[in-house]
Amino acid sequence: MRLELRHIRHVYSPGTPFQVEALRGVSLSVGPGEVLGIIGGTGSGKSTLVQHMNLLLEPAGGKVLVDAVDATTLKKSELRRRVGLVFQFPEAALFAPTVWEDVAFAPRRLGLEEAEIGDRVRESLALVGADHLKDRSPFALSGGEQRRVAIAGVLAMGPEVLVLDEPTSGLDPASRQDLLRLIRTLRDTGTSVVLVSHDTDEIAEVADRICILEKGEVRAIGSPSEVFYANPDFAPATVSTVAALNETGWDIGHPVRFRETLRALAGLMEG
Amino acid sequence: MPDPASISCEDLSYAYPGEAEPALSGVGFEVRAGEYVGVVGPNGGGKSTLLRLLNGLLAAGSGTVRIAGHDPTTEPFEVRQRVGMLFQNPENGLVAPFVEDDVAFGLENLGVPRGEMRARVRGAIEAVGLAGYERREPHTLSGGEKQRVALAGLLALEPEILLLDEPTSMLDAAGRREVLDRLRGLRREKTILHVTHHLEELLDADRILVMNGGELVADVYPAQLISDPDLLARNYLVLPPLLRLASGLGLEAKKPRTPEDLAREIQHRSPRRTEAR
Ligand SMILES: Nc1ncnc2c1ncn2[C@@H]1O[C@H](COP(=O)(O)OP(=O)(O)O)[C@@H](O)[C@H]1O
Ligand SMILES: Nc1ncnc2c1ncn2[C@@H]1O[C@H](COP(=O)(O)OP(=O)(O)O)[C@@H](O)[C@H]1O
Ligand SMILES: [Mg+2]
Ligand SMILES: [Mg+2]
Repeated sequence: MRLELRHIRHVYSPGTPFQVEALRGVSLSVGPGEVLGIIGGTGSGKSTLVQHMNLLLEPAGGKVLVDAVDATTLKKSELRRRVGLVFQFPEAALFAPTVWEDVAFAPRRLGLEEAEIGDRVRESLALVGADHLKDRSPFALSGGEQRRVAIAGVLAMGPEVLVLDEPTSGLDPASRQDLLRLIRTLRDTGTSVVLVSHDTDEIAEVADRICILEKGEVRAIGSPSEVFYANPDFAPATVSTVAALNETGWDIGHPVRFRETLRALAGLMEG
Repeated sequence: MPDPASISCEDLSYAYPGEAEPALSGVGFEVRAGEYVGVVGPNGGGKSTLLRLLNGLLAAGSGTVRIAGHDPTTEPFEVRQRVGMLFQNPENGLVAPFVEDDVAFGLENLGVPRGEMRARVRGAIEAVGLAGYERREPHTLSGGEKQRVALAGLLALEPEILLLDEPTSMLDAAGRREVLDRLRGLRREKTILHVTHHLEELLDADRILVMNGGELVADVYPAQLISDPDLLARNYLVLPPLLRLASGLGLEAKKPRTPEDLAREIQHRSPRRTEAR
């Protein structure tokens, strides 16, 4: 699916002394099989923005387009199924007595048959590497396990766009890498992925395009290489290192991901 | 007799009610006053459980905990006066209607005079970069902003011992740097136990405790940990990207602290050195 946001504006508590203009005309899009990374400082509007992607928040101005169709003309339930949103700290919303029941909740509400529900739950739990937890209570799991179960609950709806709001914060490095692998797997099967993170090192490893938000506006959008080399204050360690070398006259191009950067730097060491 | 250690545990074990497997078993270590000690390890390793036992939220199943010589379960007042805790999920800590009340909450409980209280609250709010947020309602804040409010509440209390459970997990790079600078400013003056998944935050720590499967599997200097690939791998720890680049290039892993350091080191070692410029 191609999801497009055009000139989205959002104001919290309008007309009060606490009015906050959280989004000031944001436009971007994500296509099938693409990972769009959204970065930006605390309070820059990332969470507000992603909640417009399935119209959980209504824009004060602008449009959301789903395959070029105005999202407000779709049924809310259909929109929420097609655009799956994983909130920041999604584990706070776990509620069922077992992991299996929790993940089955959304597909059951879609009115699917029991066999189909079973397949979807199994598949989603396998995707996040949590099949072994199916009979456990979600409340007696570690934070990292709960996060996977919450993500499985959204995957079980079979979304065409998966939106993840800081999914790796608080996860250990191994769980982070598992999650990045999952994102690549979904992308390779044609799902569109929006990944919000404040960790630029991490987002540099998976994003096909990067958007930097600043004070509710798009500061930059483009390929990781364009965006990071032009915005050093948001650059991952790989880019900062290469940029420092380029600055002294060593032209070694503009690698971003760890592997290609290591290869470029290793070339220098060999002469 | 010398002062008792700030924190000491001996053969500490704990199982959550109804759970067969212990969340913590046989943990023993000491932290002297003024030390800055990191705690790392995989999710579920027992880090948060350990902190809850130290501040008396949970009572030890067996073994002992002492905070400046006091037992958190039988002398809660002595312990609460000395220990400030930052929870892993900031949602769990915020209680008051406005940001400034939330930051003042702990001070009110300690009976600090009003004038001093106001000054301390203002100082703490500024220290975490939230000036202007005093009258905002905590539930309208973004995750990272909430985390800063919780930290301000802790700083205002000025406790002797700070237990920090992933204090920077929701902060952006700039926010993380500010908080770490602030903690650096408290070094020696306070005893700090800092749980994190980001090893780069602990490169200057006095020691690092590694917890895995409820056990304390290592109590080492940062330099020992980052130069021990087996110890890292066994505990699912990953070096920060800068150090991974350095070690991938065969440079000494503990050296570079900034991308500029690494760039200089590469230039220095490269046979192309003479060509450039
Ligand atoms: N419910 C709300 N009411 C009022 N202001 C809010 C609310 N939620 C967020 N904000 C404000 O909107 C801005 C953007 O917040 P958010 O989208 O959560 O940022 P981010 O996810 O990038 O940290 C921040 O200044 C935040 O304080
Ligand atoms: N409230 C709880 N009830 C039952 N088990 C729990 C609870 N909290 C944590 N655990 C279990 O205790 C172990 C240690 O968890 P925790 O201390 O949260 O680890 P960490 O903070 O290192 O991620 C894990 O196996 C976890 O599943
Ligand atoms: Mg957010
Ligand atoms: Mg924890």
